[in-house]
Amino acid sequence: MTTSSTLRPEAGDRTVTGPGPAAPRPRGDGAAALAFLTPAIITFLVFVLAPTAGVLVLSFFNWNLLSDGTFVGLDNFARLFKDGRLLGVYGSTTYMALAILAVNVVLGLLLAVLLESRMPSWLRGFFRLSFLFPFVVSASAVALIWRFLLNKDLGLVNYLLGLAGVDRVDWLGSSAFAPISVIMVNSWKTIGFSILVYIAGLQSIPKEMREAAIVDGAGAWTRFWRITFPLLSPTIFFLVVINTINSFQIFAEPRVLTQGGPGDSSRTIVEYLYDRAFGDFDLGYASAIGITFALVLVVLTAVQFWFSRRWTFYS
Amino acid sequence: MNVPNRKVALACATAALAVTALAGCSSDAAPSGSSASGDKSLEIVYWNYGPAAESGNKATADAFMAAHPDVKVTLTPVTGENWGTYYANAATLIASGKHPDLMVISGEGAQFVHSNNLVQPINAYLGKDPEAKAIVDDIAPGLINGFTVKGDVLTLTYGWNDMVVYYNTDVFEKAGIEPPAADWTWDDFKATAKKLSKDTDGDGKPDQYGFTWASNEIFPGIMPWVANAGGNLTSDDVCTATADTPQVTKAVSFLKGLIDEGISPAPMPMSDVFTRFQNGQVAMFGAGRWPIATFLPAGFKAFDIQLYPKGDTYKTVFGGAGYPILKSSENPDLAWEYQKFTVSNEIEKQYVGTPGKPGDSIPSRRSVAETISKVGVPPANSDLYYNSIDKYPTLVPYPAPAKYSTFESTVLRHLQQIFASETSVPDGLKSLQGELGGIVTC
Repeated sequence: MTTSSTLRPEAGDRTVTGPGPAAPRPRGDGAAALAFLTPAIITFLVFVLAPTAGVLVLSFFNWNLLSDGTFVGLDNFARLFKDGRLLGVYGSTTYMALAILAVNVVLGLLLAVLLESRMPSWLRGFFRLSFLFPFVVSASAVALIWRFLLNKDLGLVNYLLGLAGVDRVDWLGSSAFAPISVIMVNSWKTIGFSILVYIAGLQSIPKEMREAAIVDGAGAWTRFWRITFPLLSPTIFFLVVINTINSFQIFAEPRVLTQGGPGDSSRTIVEYLYDRAFGDFDLGYASAIGITFALVLVVLTAVQFWFSRRWTFYS
Repeated sequence: MNVPNRKVALACATAALAVTALAGCSSDAAPSGSSASGDKSLEIVYWNYGPAAESGNKATADAFMAAHPDVKVTLTPVTGENWGTYYANAATLIASGKHPDLMVISGEGAQFVHSNNLVQPINAYLGKDPEAKAIVDDIAPGLINGFTVKGDVLTLTYGWNDMVVYYNTDVFEKAGIEPPAADWTWDDFKATAKKLSKDTDGDGKPDQYGFTWASNEIFPGIMPWVANAGGNLTSDDVCTATADTPQVTKAVSFLKGLIDEGISPAPMPMSDVFTRFQNGQVAMFGAGRWPIATFLPAGFKAFDIQLYPKGDTYKTVFGGAGYPILKSSENPDLAWEYQKFTVSNEIEKQYVGTPGKPGDSIPSRRSVAETISKVGVPPANSDLYYNSIDKYPTLVPYPAPAKYSTFESTVLRHLQQIFASETSVPDGLKSLQGELGGIVTC
């Protein structure tokens, strides 16, 4: 049996696949490429780069939307260190984001493997649709329905738990359970995407490799750990990065389910900066929160890329 | 040398963006529309909270244009989950370069628009317009006072809502309980609510509750209780928070007691309350007139209204809405005509509605509001809507500082913790008072 480490390409292998002399490129490709890329470039410039630059500029100003802005230098960034709530909100955001990430990556993989196991095709289709459907529904609509179901005294969830003898849980009103509710609802909504990506990754693994392993006498766990996991590692890495970024940016679920409470127990950074911008009309400070939060995500993603070299295998 | 050029280009781009971002925020910037000479157009911003807002504003605009064929009215709907977010979105709109002539605001926004120098007071128009006196005489003084900031009358109120108790008449009848009287007290209320709280499925826990309140708004939430305990959340000049006074503590403790005794469920947002009330899971709740716009079209008529019970005192908590003239208006005189038109009999009748299509607020003109019961729009006690402001003391001013959205969300955040028993009432209110110190200022 091979191991994951032996599946890594040796340094010498690179020479085998190394680039040869560049093939002559047909004329006109550049213009065609530019034509295809232009809509995406414009969209990126208008809806991503320009607002980002605008936010960066705003972070050096005091501006309430309605009066003239005042240049304040780095004051808004200095305020970050004096904000008594910000650290707590970072804490609640991190807690919920990591939990959502774990559910998506681990449970998503488990469910994808189960969906790829033997079952009637209609049943497989039913499960796939069931898992994917919440993903395409508006987050606010999903959260509204769950808010109704999770009501402590009149909700269906506690009613069903009551039939099993479980006491009423204050899903939305207690600091312990409010973030758990946000984690559950967001995971329920987003896990379909992770499953979909996992299934695509699983289907790209050559059957011959698994069949060869079976012939070699490898059990299910060995096949998963020595073949499926290494070959699926790029997919897992992709989902870790995407889910990290997405889960740190959740807004609709805590906003609708718990309004970030009780206190700040289920408040996210995005919700917090939204309130500073459009509740306090403190656009400069909200921009400073946004810029620093974006930097945190960039660093987090860079760290993930750095670590990924140790465990990700690209065939 | 490419590098320096790139740097210069980057600096220019950044500067350009800075100019673009900040240019639109000046309220003194020149209006983008055509000049006042000969231009007979009006742009009106309103909160598009649903189809009723859309159709109501359209009907008013159409009627105005019919009466003034040379005037073009443009409506700009602005979304928002509540008044606070509507103001934020409207402010964003204005910052982006729009210069509307009128903008719908509620009483909660009066301090906000005044402190940001957005509106043109109508004192001068009230003094010189011969029609104004008759209009003002037909409007309850509380509605004028509610929109007066530091002597400046910001707008005439076209519609308003008072906080009253809705009760499910079927649930009352089934429990054999008499409808509440206008002079009921907190003790009467609690005794009634307790009788209406039941364990209908025998699991040892209540699944029908006597009363609940909205967790996502303070006016239909705690304010009536605070007012009737003789308190307020701010000082009279709305410059200082008063959230930890004995009166506020008494009101919040009373509500917390209702939860602890199984008379009220854990507080929920208003839209959820509507559903629970209609299906009988909650027998009473507090709101303005707006629930009837949901109840009646859905065929639900088994309800009536009563004043909030009397505590140490009684004060009607209310809020209104109007179309103040913005300083950016090129046609303030025409805008004043539009504002007057919004309180004309013709328009005010729309807020009365019909039994099948009721209005969602109370007309400001007394003479029009009195027709609600005559045309048969439920509930049976609908005369109470106007009487509550005409014949009873009112809570003026609104506890609505300039940073209303932050103020309300801060109050709600602390109340969540109190009602979830995560902090005691005195400790929670003390913490609230400390935080409001930096929000309620002048």
